[in-house]
Amino acid sequence: MSADLRIEAALKVAGRAVFPAETPATGLLYAALVEAPVASGELRALDPTAARAVPGFVDIVGHAEAEGLKASSNTALIRERTIHFAGQPLALVVAESPGAAEQAARAVRLEIEARPAVTALDQALDQAYAPKLAGRVPAETRRGDAATAIAGAHLVVRGRYETAVNNHHPMEPHAAVCVWEGERPTVHTNTQAVFGTRAAIAHAFQLPADDIRVVARYLGGGFGCKGPLWWPWMFLAMIAARRAGRPVRLELSRAQLFTLVGRRQETVQELALGFGADGRLVGIEHDVLAQTSTHGEYVDATAAVSRWLYACPNVSTTHRLVRTNEPQPIPMRAPGVAPGTFALESALDEAAERLGLDPVELRVRNFADRDQQADKPWSSNGLLECYRVGAERFGWAGRPAPGAARDGRWRLGSGMATACYPVHRQPASARVRISGEGALTVQCGTQDMGSGTYTVLGQMAAAQLGVAMADVTVELGDTWLPEGPYSGGSMVTLSILPAAEAAARQVRAQLAELAVTDEASPLAGLPVEDLEFADGLVRSRSGNAAEPLVDLLRRRAPAGLEAEASATPPEASDVSGMGYGAVFVEVGIDPDLGELRVRRVTAAYAAGRILNPLLAKSQHVGGLIGGIGMALHERTVTDRATGRILGDGFADYLIPVHADMPEFDIALVDEHDPHLPGGVKGIGMLGSAGVQAAIANAVHDAIGRRVRHLPIRIEDLL
Amino acid sequence: MSGAAFRYARAADPAAAVTLGAAPGAAFLAGGTDLLQLWKAGVQAPAQVVDISRLPLATVAAEADGLKLGALARLHDVAAHPDVARDYPLVAEAILASASGQVRHMASVGGNLLQRTRCVYFRGGEGLACNKRAPGSGCGALEGENRQHALFGGSAACVATHASDLAVALVALDAEVEVLSAAGSRRLPLAELYRQPGEAPERDTTLAPGELIAAVQVADAARFAGRSTYLKVRDRASFEFAVVSVAAALVVAGGRIAEARLAAGGVGTVPWRLDAAEAALVGQPVGPDAFAAAGAAATEGAQPLAHNGFKVELLRRAVVRALETVGGQA
Repeated sequence: MSADLRIEAALKVAGRAVFPAETPATGLLYAALVEAPVASGELRALDPTAARAVPGFVDIVGHAEAEGLKASSNTALIRERTIHFAGQPLALVVAESPGAAEQAARAVRLEIEARPAVTALDQALDQAYAPKLAGRVPAETRRGDAATAIAGAHLVVRGRYETAVNNHHPMEPHAAVCVWEGERPTVHTNTQAVFGTRAAIAHAFQLPADDIRVVARYLGGGFGCKGPLWWPWMFLAMIAARRAGRPVRLELSRAQLFTLVGRRQETVQELALGFGADGRLVGIEHDVLAQTSTHGEYVDATAAVSRWLYACPNVSTTHRLVRTNEPQPIPMRAPGVAPGTFALESALDEAAERLGLDPVELRVRNFADRDQQADKPWSSNGLLECYRVGAERFGWAGRPAPGAARDGRWRLGSGMATACYPVHRQPASARVRISGEGALTVQCGTQDMGSGTYTVLGQMAAAQLGVAMADVTVELGDTWLPEGPYSGGSMVTLSILPAAEAAARQVRAQLAELAVTDEASPLAGLPVEDLEFADGLVRSRSGNAAEPLVDLLRRRAPAGLEAEASATPPEASDVSGMGYGAVFVEVGIDPDLGELRVRRVTAAYAAGRILNPLLAKSQHVGGLIGGIGMALHERTVTDRATGRILGDGFADYLIPVHADMPEFDIALVDEHDPHLPGGVKGIGMLGSAGVQAAIANAVHDAIGRRVRHLPIRIEDLL
Repeated sequence: MSGAAFRYARAADPAAAVTLGAAPGAAFLAGGTDLLQLWKAGVQAPAQVVDISRLPLATVAAEADGLKLGALARLHDVAAHPDVARDYPLVAEAILASASGQVRHMASVGGNLLQRTRCVYFRGGEGLACNKRAPGSGCGALEGENRQHALFGGSAACVATHASDLAVALVALDAEVEVLSAAGSRRLPLAELYRQPGEAPERDTTLAPGELIAAVQVADAARFAGRSTYLKVRDRASFEFAVVSVAAALVVAGGRIAEARLAAGGVGTVPWRLDAAEAALVGQPVGPDAFAAAGAAATEGAQPLAHNGFKVELLRRAVVRALETVGGQA
């Protein structure tokens, strides 16, 4: 398909796209959260007297009210009085204005029995434990005998790799506008899962799902944080709206995005790679220690990449967790793979140096031609082509010797790494409708995070029925529409596209049938297989017969036609799906002053059929910028004394600015995948994997120093 | 977040401003680029905001006896002024290394000099110990996160750095400030405007309540114009405060350093003049030996904390680099 612009681009640029927080509601009340001042303890009492005195105060909702909700992991934090982290909401105040709500929230007096808090991972190492699962895969795996293989290896590369806490920080903070009509709530909220949110509401409030509507027409990004951790605070706002009999809006502050909606967990990774004299991996041991909260368990599958990225007969991986009184981690763009490839791809680079091999050649030698962990063939695998294309475009073969290149005060270095992300898919439904006047509508409940779902669905339907993009409307982000999956794991497009494509084909088949059976049509009597839909026409492939689609509709289907279809991934697949990339980076370092600039990034990605190259490149560039942030800037800091987040705003939590962004050269490698529906793989995560290690490897190339922790900062380079 | 309610008054003229500003809890508002942040975060809750942004104090004038910057001149306008760019490039460079284009169009000279520290304990609001924000509450940074904190001028009560780039350049150039109050006007060296925290870190400056900076005066410094630089090392390429910065200016005659000005940012509780480093330069032949001696002298007396020790070496190197940049051919 073509490189169309986002179909909602003009709306967004002009400010006419209505985001959930902007939903108009008559009689709207404003909410503010009362936050715990300590990182651990018990709420003994809450005195709202002073809050009630604030002009405009309307109501306060706390544990007593939340106890009416059904107990679950989604309601535990608001039903129980235990304080697990500093900033944990203990109540919600509603008032006639946002200012009054905040003022009243600050006036609430809290009586808290504080307890000693664990505010850093290293304070409770002795209490580390092994979870059963890392995300959706086992936390511990063993293939062959890694320890023995490494003990007898020709070369062993061992290292400890550390990654900092990151926060997601979509441009648009979380918000909910909650409206009740009797016992039927409508919640406009920027969630990555309208249907998951509806199910959570149904469970918590014990309501039929059909009575609940969740709407998220547009999202200003998510990156993983617009999910379940938002629900408890949204529930408080819903309770307040029901009690007040008026709509309530809760909108988080930037500072609250550091505490209330998740983070990328801190990792300490011990990695050992054993190689034979031929440069082939003989053993991998990858052991991960990571932070989780005292109230929830989450572990990124950080070591999972070591199970399948390279061919190796002996692999052992483990994950352990330490509970701290800090905010709860959740998936963040390229979960697991981002920190995991930092370790693995840094170690590969070190091994290449010690083996005297080109880093690309070492990777080619260790290419996994099947998924050894799952013991299945790949559905398709374009990794070798990514290496070739990326290296060629970057000029890898002609790069200067390590440490040799300079540009004024800058010493230049080049590095590369592999990027990968598994293909995930969920069941989805979609509806396609064409009006009697030829207006085409595609409907799917799944929301568009801002990455282009509206556009690719519209492009697909337009192509199927041969109508212009201008005649297509796409409706998303509403539980009143057909059900689709959550936006995460790079799976929206490949989940909903097959459903929407099937619905469009059904509409096309109905139209074809009408045409060939209508004596008034020039297509009458033709076999339906001979018809094609293009340029607004229904026409014969073999002859000259044709008529405008709209004529056929007016005559035979003046009320329009529609079809709904579902697509469900098979319960078990006999192939493994994986998207790949190869990232090449040039950095400049001023070793006297410790300054580092990423000067050039070339990345080649093989991720199945590309529906819209413009949107795909945009996804990759965004992912790469996030990866540069993780590599060089982003670091959420907890004050050990208090457990509070320090510098909880964009003045202190640094993200790349334009001056930190180099020119990005993105190559989309053609890949035909015969096994996945539509040949589509996810692409959203790929850009945020691999680039961190590529930067660290380029640092080593420039100044001969291995930095094994992120972010890499001035003091690491002096 | 929004801050607490306040009374707002727009000063009709400088005399009205100093009268209104003398009231307890009053704060002057010019560009608002710092005050609004502090107010939103609840760090500063002025009872009375005195809007001085429309007062006629925005002159930028380079004359024979020096450069005069009205306190309300916008940073952008100062840096873009052709006379400043020609005769006081150190000032222009320091400004252009500050903040972002949008901020520089709003921020005023006076407000920039009086901006409060970026210490995360100060800005973090209640719940974090900070003697500057809440006297007597302690200093969270001393034993906490102190990578950004000072090597020089700290006390047991406070180790927060001063964040202005412009102030570093102006201190190097011996700038003076003209201060108005109900009692009239006075003039003092900019270096004396700032006070080290000692036991009263809540007081950043020697200004009395209601005193208003009207202008900054820099004595003729055109002799430095060919040999000055502002070097800023930071954690990203733009829109970020200094980890270490150095303002350097030399006058060279006959191959020897006749005059040297050095000041550093990111390392002191106030803009830090490097007197010992200057002394190590004056009279010496221009060259690596003198620069190395100055670099070493610049770090004398540094008192690193747990996380900022790298800034000692970084300061030494930054001083040497800045001198190499301005040293040029003897």
